[in-house]
Parts: sequence; C-alpha cells; structure tokens
Amino acid sequence: MKVNEVPQDDVPDYSEGIKKGNYALDDQGKYVMVPSKGWDVDELTNRLAFNEYKAKVEETRKAVLEGKKSPLAYYMELRQMIPKFLGKTAGIATFRVKRHLRPEIFAKLKESVLDSYAKALEITKEELKTVPHNSQER
Amino acid sequence: MNIEITASGKPFVHNHSAHCESGVTSALFRDQGLDISEALVFGIGSGIFFGHLFFVKMVGLPITTFRSQPGAVFRKAGKRLGVKFVTKRFRNPQKGMAELRQLLKQGQIVGLTTNIYWLSYFPNRFRFQFNGHNLIALREIEGGFRVSDPVLEHPVDCLAEDLERARFSHGPLEPHGLMYYPSFVPQNPDIKKACIKGMKDTCNMMLRTHIPIFGVRGIRFLAKRIKNSPQKLGFHEACRHLGNIVRMQEEIGTGGAGFRFMYAAFLQEAGELFQSDELKQLSQEMTAIGDIWREFAVVSARIIKQRGKTEDTFDKVYDILMECAAREEALFRKLNEVVRKLKV
Repeated sequence: MKVNEVPQDDVPDYSEGIKKGNYALDDQGKYVMVPSKGWDVDELTNRLAFNEYKAKVEETRKAVLEGKKSPLAYYMELRQMIPKFLGKTAGIATFRVKRHLRPEIFAKLKESVLDSYAKALEITKEELKTVPHNSQER
Repeated sequence: MNIEITASGKPFVHNHSAHCESGVTSALFRDQGLDISEALVFGIGSGIFFGHLFFVKMVGLPITTFRSQPGAVFRKAGKRLGVKFVTKRFRNPQKGMAELRQLLKQGQIVGLTTNIYWLSYFPNRFRFQFNGHNLIALREIEGGFRVSDPVLEHPVDCLAEDLERARFSHGPLEPHGLMYYPSFVPQNPDIKKACIKGMKDTCNMMLRTHIPIFGVRGIRFLAKRIKNSPQKLGFHEACRHLGNIVRMQEEIGTGGAGFRFMYAAFLQEAGELFQSDELKQLSQEMTAIGDIWREFAVVSARIIKQRGKTEDTFDKVYDILMECAAREEALFRKLNEVVRKLKV
C-alpha cells in the first residue's frame, strides 16, 4: 500500500474523528505511518455487526414490554453479554442468571441480588427494574 | 508532537501506532531510554500470526486472529532484548487499582490490558466486548487517569470506574487486571540478535505448527470453511460470518492487512540493520501480500453489499485466500533460509 492509497473515506458517524494509523510506502519506498480517516469496507462490516446488535437489543426490549423476558435480559443484551459472563461479573451462578431472565422469577428477586446485577451492568437499581419505552443507544 | 508529563516529571512522547500492543511496548521501552520503533518491536516480539479459532465464539461468531495472543509481543520482545520486566495479575480489583496508583505515584508508567467496551473515550461503534486492548496509564488525575492509547492520535482522560471495569472485565481471554512495565532496560541491547530470534520464531509459528487452524495451514483451513459456508449455513449466515472475518481483519486491532504491512515495515528496518538486500526484497513481497489481504476485504464487502448479484462469489474469496496462503508460505520459507545466513 502506498501513501496515496491509504483510504481516506468520509465515515463521520462511524469513526467520530478518530484516525487509524496505517503503515504505507512513501515515494522513496520507505514505510511511514499515515493516519487514515476511515475506510468504507471497514465501516460496512462494522455497520453490519452494529445493526445486528441494535436489532437484538430492540427485540429484547419489546419482549420485555410484552412480559416474555425480564428487564435483566434487556440490559444483558445492551452490554453485549451472555449469561455466563454476566454471572461471572455479578458473582452469580450461570444457571441462576438464566432463571432470572424469566420475568416471574426476576420479580421476586432479593434486593441484594439486584444490587449485584446493577453494579455488574453499570446501571442503577431503579433502571434495572424497567426498560426504556423508546429505543435508545447504550 | 504529543508530549505529556508523567508523575515523575519526565516527558512522555505519545506516538500514533497501528497496533495497540506493539505501540505500548515500544513506548514503554522508549520511556526507559531505549529508542525502538513500533515495527521493530512487532517483529522482534513475533507479533504476526494467523489463527482461525472456530470454537471460540464472540457474539456467536468465531474468532479469527491475525496476530499472536495478547501479551505475547511485550513478553517476547522484552525477553529477546534483555529487558527485565514485571507482569502482574490480580484477583481483587481494589488491590489492582491501588497497586496501579502506587506505581504511578512513583513515576512509573504502566501498560494495562483492558476490555475495549468499557473505555468510554472510544466512539460507540468501536465499543464491543473484547478483552485484549492495551494502553499505558501515565498519571493519576482528578477522578481518573491520563492514558496514552496508542491507536489514538493524542493522549486522553479515562474515568477511574471505566478503567477498573475494563481491567477486570469477564469474558473470553479475561485480563484479570494485567499490568506490565519494564523494571530494567539495557541501553545498548543486541537488536540484531533479537531480530533473528523473532524472525525464526515467526517462521516456526507460521510454518511448523501441527495444529491445522494456525499459521499458513490456518489460512487454508479458513479458505475452505468460507467456500463451504453458503451451503452449510445459508447465504445470509455465510455473509454474517464473512463480514465478521473482515471486521476482525480490518477493524479489531488494525487487522490482517495492517499487520502484514507492519511486518513489511519491520523487514525493511531489519534489512537496513543487517545491510541485507534479501530482507528488503522480502519486505516488498510482504507488502504485496498485504495488498492481497486488502483485496480480500474489498471483495468480501462487495459480496455482502450486493447479496450475490455480482460475479464475486465465495469461490473467488477462496481463491484469494489460497493465494495469500501460498505466498505467505513461500515468503516465510524464504525468510527461514535468509535468517539463517544473517550475521549477528
């Protein structure tokens, strides 16, 4: 890759001004560091993954509002976690985390358990009890 | 220039790097008076690699890695250059943070392994659960830390809670609060000898591994899986997998092509060091291979975008990857010969 081949595509809502370092050859054939504004290919694959993530969060949010899942499931998706790692972070066994994804069981949880979930997910205990009525990011 | 003052009053120069770990390592060594470029560190630490870990899943998709495991570059480069270094993991987050503060107060800058999701100074779309991002803590500030993240252009502030979460996150490849710093750096290390060691190790890892998912065999393994994926998973799912591979290549830790170019930069520097034209030729070949990797990304992106309406098919991706594998194999075989002829 030559210096003038380093992609400089405009992808403002993706990179938010962060420039990535790229090694490229200059006119003398020497490697130099060239900051790159962004690359469409990069943006495309990221968008794919990000949209998938957002869709999943939204789907879970609706399921919670319909009473099929507990709010815990929503926040777990929001933090891109799975029961195994949420359990590890909160110090709760995985099978219990999976049970707590059911709304009827979640409703009966002790305050101390809610506390450890809230801490693990970086939200307040009040937030954990409901989900937002409109979709939101993070 | 980005100059920061550390707690000890020493100036610290922040350099924009292509890869977090080699950037951190070279900055840590530079801070102790050993001026060494990122590319050299990357080559000496045998940073280049390939592996398709189909059984380790991140958000349900297999991991493809284009570099050696997190932590290896620092460890290997340190050992080969005769650097004495300290690495520490913690069980207790409070202890881990207290020790970090203590070290910063003493004026030591510290390399940390973190989870990128919890680092809020990154844009939203960069943030995902990945436990292998490296950065340097420079000094403590009110409510947080001043950190030098080598993939960013300038040093930034990081909240203390963020950093604690990032260091002690759970998931695949848990960092356990890993921190590392050199305690003694030789002023005139034998860089040539270290380069030879690094190159030999790289050749071994890429060519002689017995596990078919690593090294050059791993590239072929991945190529075959991609070729079969539309039949096996369906077109949509196959696109998802392909997109993830490209994402791993180009976005996460600057990616496969990026690493190939960085290794080419290393070979160029080594070529000058040893006055060896053969190494310089290999550098050019590596650049060409990096360009093929980029083509792989472009073709894959086209497939995903146009949903099979062009002549770009999964078979074409297979051909490109097989070419990558063949040329990388030839390159590392040649390098293996060349490196044995080099004089220290």
